[in-house]
Amino acid sequence: MEKSAIRDPGFYLMIAIGLAALFIGPLVVDMFTIMQVTQYVVLSVFALSLGYIWGFGGILSFGQAAFFGLGAYTFAVASINIGETTIPLILSFLLPAAFGAALGYFMFYGKLSDVYLGVVTMVVTLIFWKLANHTAGPEYVIGKARLGGFNGIPSIPTLNIPGEPDAWLDPAQLFQVFMAILIAVYVGLRLLIASDFGRVSIGIRENETRASLLGYDVRKHKVIVFSIGSGIAGLAGAMWATYQSFIDPNAFGMEMSAKALVWVMAGGVGTLVGPILGVILLQWLTLKLGMMELLNSFVVLGAIMMALVLALPKGMVPTLRGWALTGWTLARRGRGAARAKKPGEEGGAG
Amino acid sequence: MDYFIVVALEMVRAVAWLVLLSAGLAIIFGMMRVINFAHGEFLMLGGYTVVTSTHAGVNEAVAILILAPLSVGLFGIIVERLVIRRLYGRILDSLLATWGLSMLMIGGVTLIFGNTVEGIASPFGGMAIGAYQVPIYNFVLIGFAALVLFGVWVVLKFTRAGLIARATMQNPAMAEALGVRTSWVYMATFGIGSGVTGLAGGLIAPVTGVVPTMGVNFVGQAFITVITGGAAVITGTLSSATLLGTISQATTFLAGPVYGDAALLLVALVLLRLLPQGITGRIFKRSL
Amino acid sequence: MTEVEGYKILRTRGLTMQFGGVTAVDNVDLDLNDGELRCLLGPNGAGKSTFFKCLTGQLTPTRGEITFKDQPITGWNTHDIVNLGVGIKTQVPNLFNGVSVYENVRLASRRKHMPAMAREIAEKMMEKCGISHLARREVGLLAHGQRQLVELAMVLAEEPSLILLDEPAAGMTGDERDRLAQLVLEAARGSAVIVVEHDMQFIRQIAKFVTVFNRGAIFREAMIDDIMRDRAVQEIYLGKQANAAA
Repeated sequence: MEKSAIRDPGFYLMIAIGLAALFIGPLVVDMFTIMQVTQYVVLSVFALSLGYIWGFGGILSFGQAAFFGLGAYTFAVASINIGETTIPLILSFLLPAAFGAALGYFMFYGKLSDVYLGVVTMVVTLIFWKLANHTAGPEYVIGKARLGGFNGIPSIPTLNIPGEPDAWLDPAQLFQVFMAILIAVYVGLRLLIASDFGRVSIGIRENETRASLLGYDVRKHKVIVFSIGSGIAGLAGAMWATYQSFIDPNAFGMEMSAKALVWVMAGGVGTLVGPILGVILLQWLTLKLGMMELLNSFVVLGAIMMALVLALPKGMVPTLRGWALTGWTLARRGRGAARAKKPGEEGGAG
Repeated sequence: MDYFIVVALEMVRAVAWLVLLSAGLAIIFGMMRVINFAHGEFLMLGGYTVVTSTHAGVNEAVAILILAPLSVGLFGIIVERLVIRRLYGRILDSLLATWGLSMLMIGGVTLIFGNTVEGIASPFGGMAIGAYQVPIYNFVLIGFAALVLFGVWVVLKFTRAGLIARATMQNPAMAEALGVRTSWVYMATFGIGSGVTGLAGGLIAPVTGVVPTMGVNFVGQAFITVITGGAAVITGTLSSATLLGTISQATTFLAGPVYGDAALLLVALVLLRLLPQGITGRIFKRSL
Repeated sequence: MTEVEGYKILRTRGLTMQFGGVTAVDNVDLDLNDGELRCLLGPNGAGKSTFFKCLTGQLTPTRGEITFKDQPITGWNTHDIVNLGVGIKTQVPNLFNGVSVYENVRLASRRKHMPAMAREIAEKMMEKCGISHLARREVGLLAHGQRQLVELAMVLAEEPSLILLDEPAAGMTGDERDRLAQLVLEAARGSAVIVVEHDMQFIRQIAKFVTVFNRGAIFREAMIDDIMRDRAVQEIYLGKQANAAA
């Protein structure tokens, strides 16, 4: 975990896969699939925001959707008013980050316990959701943008080339830009985690008391981590808004926060690849299960969440890594020893 | 004059409302330090018990006062045995698991009953205070809120079960050493907490109607009340419900119900910044 | 009381810590000279660890004042006190369990120094404490004695002007303990040190001036030899046996 990103081959492999998808994807895959994958890319950015603060800052937020929604609404309102999308995209990072810092100030300087943190983050999301739903009346207007309450905000502009408000991106280009954002967020987070700041975060995650006994200001540090995570979630929200060209209060919904948690849990807390794999696997699974008319998405999501906590608390990537490691050690030991044991007994060791 | 009586009554009703919504949660939190994230859905389950059984011809009072707490209490015991118990000492995991449960319940009830509001007629009708009309049912809610708190107090203070519960609350390891089966205590606590929540769900059903997602409307208030109150069940719930209920009702009068909730959270955040373990973490420390 | 005169790096006046009805630290006036090595003795529950927690801001004392380097630090945040130059090894080692020994020590040295220097200091301290061979091991998997040494290396890597060591010898083998004694004596050449310890063999190796705590209050302050001969001190230590015999 503390392995420096620069020396980790997996880091370059991920970048290579990302770049390959970015450049080759649109050439070989049909448009419908590209648009489908674009959705996964957006949600991956969202998943990374939680994967970072939870896995590398020890902050479990039950309300990541608050920042996702805030970013989405910021982008919608700003882009409709400004008529271009570059500044709104930046704002959709900055505003949620600032709000995250303010909320973080109350939570971390108040030294709230984990349970209280969970409850507060969840309730904040809930209230955003209620407020957003409440803005249906014509009096809720920001500049040219009507908030629309539960009806949402329609006709949100697609991204345009910076400086050229009329040069909209086509779906393939949008996919490429989003992929580039995902790669940038991933690389940025990996470097951040490998930096001294990131190492201190990991230290705080491991032992807050020791971190403060070494002279690190735990509260300030957590506020910064939380704020960065909030900004990234906001950015994902903006991407979501422009991808759908529509946004409604469900961006603030419980389901959105829960999904982020499930992706990270499924993929594994304490990795960055995990949350991305979690998105791909679970979105695909929900799609398949959703097709069976019998179940609705709440049942699927809830069941998966409970199953993960009870059966696979570490998540996929760390579990597989553990299996691989024990398998490898056993295999080595087996080869070195009398080779009496059959292979295949190793699987159960994880 | 009449107006002030009506306003004061509304304030008391708001406090009672918060007490009812959060008492069951507070019982569980006070004892086990676990927040049941499916609390809203436990309320919903209580509501559905009342609606379905009255539609089946059961007397309303029986449905609300007996069936709702019993069925939800039983459900709580099952949940404790199957889920919560496996996660002792893993508090964050129990939050995640109960949140999963919450969604499972919303989804499950939607599958069975569909996503429509069902209701029963509000009993008793209204009463005139001067020129104003006040639902008599408000007095019922206030009465039951008081009764619930009083009941918890009597149980904790005067019964053997209450003594065991208080001992476990103070020091689980010591209680265990003295022969208390803490695992049973926790099961009973979760069951009773759920039962109280079921009762609350039943009591609010005539006012709000029931729908699978109704829990979402109440958990925010319940959670804030409990964490603001802190670990002491009675004084915590009562003090925070009084404070928050008054403030949110005042805000609601001035700006509307949505902002009432937002005001609630803001006050709670400021309060928690000053008293991170809730009101009873600093003040009324040794209370029940 | 003491004939050693000089700059007082640490001074507490009327320091009191109460939990409910229990007074864990009772009206303690303690002076520590710059560069002094002080041993703190006392039976379990005498309030030594609580005293340390007050000094490092982990607890806010009920009453009294703490002055460190002429600054009134009562009620300060832990990290602010630490950054003034206090390093503490806690009774139960507080370590970053999920990461390597090296990373632990480096996080300590990095607080004051740029990366290259931090690395050098971390390596030097690990060598000093004899844990260089464990550098890449995960701290959570080490034996108790080794963990103690890791924490000690971290405290030394902070280069504090006041070092607080709470039962540093617990869980150590004889060799480890001898090394520890050397380390403490060496550290005391550059910093003021307060050591809480029960291991009398260890105390004899390092102690000169000793403060004895009992029931949260200072019971005696004297040179170690006088303390060892003091009947009353023996009695509070052996309280139960003495009572049983009486």
